Amino acid sequence: MLLTTCFIGGCTKSGPASNTTQKKQKGPIIVTSTTTMLTDLVKIVGGSQVRVQGLMGPGVDPHLYKASSKDLFKLKLADVIFYSGLTLEGKLQAVLETYKKTKKHVYAVTDAIPRTLLIKAGEGHDGTYDPHIWFDASLWARCVDSVIYGLSKVDPKHADDFKRRGADFKKELETLHSWVLESVQPIPAKKRILVTSHDAFGYFGRAYGFQVIGLQGLSTVDQAGLLDVTKLVDFIKEQKVKAIFVETSVNAKALKQISASAGVAIGGELFSDAMGLPGEIDDDGNDKGTYIGMMKYNVLSIVKGLK
Amino acid sequence: MSELLSWWAVAPWQTGQGGYFWALLMGFLVTASCGLVGNYLLVRRLSLMGDTISHSILPGLVLAFLWTGRRTSWVMFVGAVIAALVTVFLVDLIQKGSRIKQDAAMSVVFTVLFALGVLLVSIFAHQVDLDQDCVLYGEIAFVPLETLISVGGVSIGPPSVVRMGIVFLFTLVSVVLFNKELLLSSFDPGLSTSSGYSAQKIHLGLMAMVAIIVVSAFESVGAILVVAMLIFPGATASLITDRLNYIHVLTIIQSALSTLGGMYLALWLDTSIAASMVVVSMCLFALVWFFNPSYGLISTLVNRGVSKDKTLETE
Repeated sequence: MLLTTCFIGGCTKSGPASNTTQKKQKGPIIVTSTTTMLTDLVKIVGGSQVRVQGLMGPGVDPHLYKASSKDLFKLKLADVIFYSGLTLEGKLQAVLETYKKTKKHVYAVTDAIPRTLLIKAGEGHDGTYDPHIWFDASLWARCVDSVIYGLSKVDPKHADDFKRRGADFKKELETLHSWVLESVQPIPAKKRILVTSHDAFGYFGRAYGFQVIGLQGLSTVDQAGLLDVTKLVDFIKEQKVKAIFVETSVNAKALKQISASAGVAIGGELFSDAMGLPGEIDDDGNDKGTYIGMMKYNVLSIVKGLK
Repeated sequence: MSELLSWWAVAPWQTGQGGYFWALLMGFLVTASCGLVGNYLLVRRLSLMGDTISHSILPGLVLAFLWTGRRTSWVMFVGAVIAALVTVFLVDLIQKGSRIKQDAAMSVVFTVLFALGVLLVSIFAHQVDLDQDCVLYGEIAFVPLETLISVGGVSIGPPSVVRMGIVFLFTLVSVVLFNKELLLSSFDPGLSTSSGYSAQKIHLGLMAMVAIIVVSAFESVGAILVVAMLIFPGATASLITDRLNYIHVLTIIQSALSTLGGMYLALWLDTSIAASMVVVSMCLFALVWFFNPSYGLISTLVNRGVSKDKTLETE
């Protein structure tokens, strides 16, 4: 009896999930996106004309993403697939690049950004760029065009809607961009030093005038060396940095040790490679599960910590 | 009731028009290839070789990247195979050339090579995302997304399945052709060498095969399935019989069952396919361990009880 209820429970649980993967002839087009930032973007541009399913849930580090069995159908039955690109998705990106050959509508949103605007990761390695572009709102705005393009290709009838919503969102991102520039003004130029767990804030630093120091490199196996730690502690003391920041999707232990030995406060938890749960509102009324809310939350935390 | 039955037995396979055929086939090819060579590893007490290789390939990946400046699949694959070959030979060297036993030799080699890889990453490539997970390990769920390759107009399957199929055939043929040599050298290296089959050469050949199979399997389905399947089929089969040829046959059966069962579990719970296959494999192991009539836990307990009674009676 217990076994039967288990099975029924399992079936009813999987019911709605399998419904979302069934392709419908009419109604909204089905979109599959990878990261939480991207899912948010597609939702905004697509509005009610699309149904978006994200592969990576809130808080999931794209490096640590593990596919579940139904993710195959999320990809297979999608009318259009968006991914971030620049090797953020690791091996999954390679899968999607090959899938592009059979399925026409697979797009890397960062393809819309001119390569000259990207930060090169490492010297001499061709085609290797820092993938964390969303921390510069003006670069993220350029990705909107990829989404409009992809959606319009699949659903030309609603192209105007996508264009309109995309344009509106781009305006919002512009506003956000200038809001961030303004919000960081209270921090004196000399104090604009952002110390975080890993190198995710390169674009943020470039766009908003921060010197960015990540304890770990871009790779997840790269660990902080002893020299790095001592140097960083000295640097923090020398520059009288007021606060350093941990990240929601990276282990905070090393940074906490640095905070203790340098006598510097932890300024809070920043979102780096994934956003929070949609509907999770912070004290300032920002929804940490949306791109704009997440950016505002990050910026306010940084300003609070460093001011 | 019949509705319930169709829910259990049929519905999961129909999810998304049953596009899992290639993933299933891939699961079987990987588990069976790993299981067959794993049987020899089990005898030689080298079962953790899969885990060892999964760590020790890091420096191979980094050097391959530094050499070519690229992270494309085949570059990473070649780097990983070379590092895996270095691993198996180093393990053999330490084991034969010192007083250290196999398990410690494996630990020494994989930790050192992994550490070397971490050093290389932090010195030369810390601005590049480079680790096994993001540049090498494949995902079995995405196998059906590959473009089918065709030979002479007939499409024969996704490239990774075809590749793994070749590896499987190669494994199967080697095991059948060199059955006698492998068997003899596994159980009596001295006799094998004196009969003209150098145990050392056979061992190195076998280990090279393991290195290639393991890395190909990593490339196709990731680490966990490979590491587990080098051990589980053989371990389960050896609970039933002592004869290596029967163990091989049971290994194939075990592979098929855990692939099917694992896929079912993964579809039902919407979880990782590779991890589900390992869990089902573990269940099969536990079932055999408890209930097998000759060496099973229950029959051993019962027999012990019976013999105790008998001793009491005779007293």
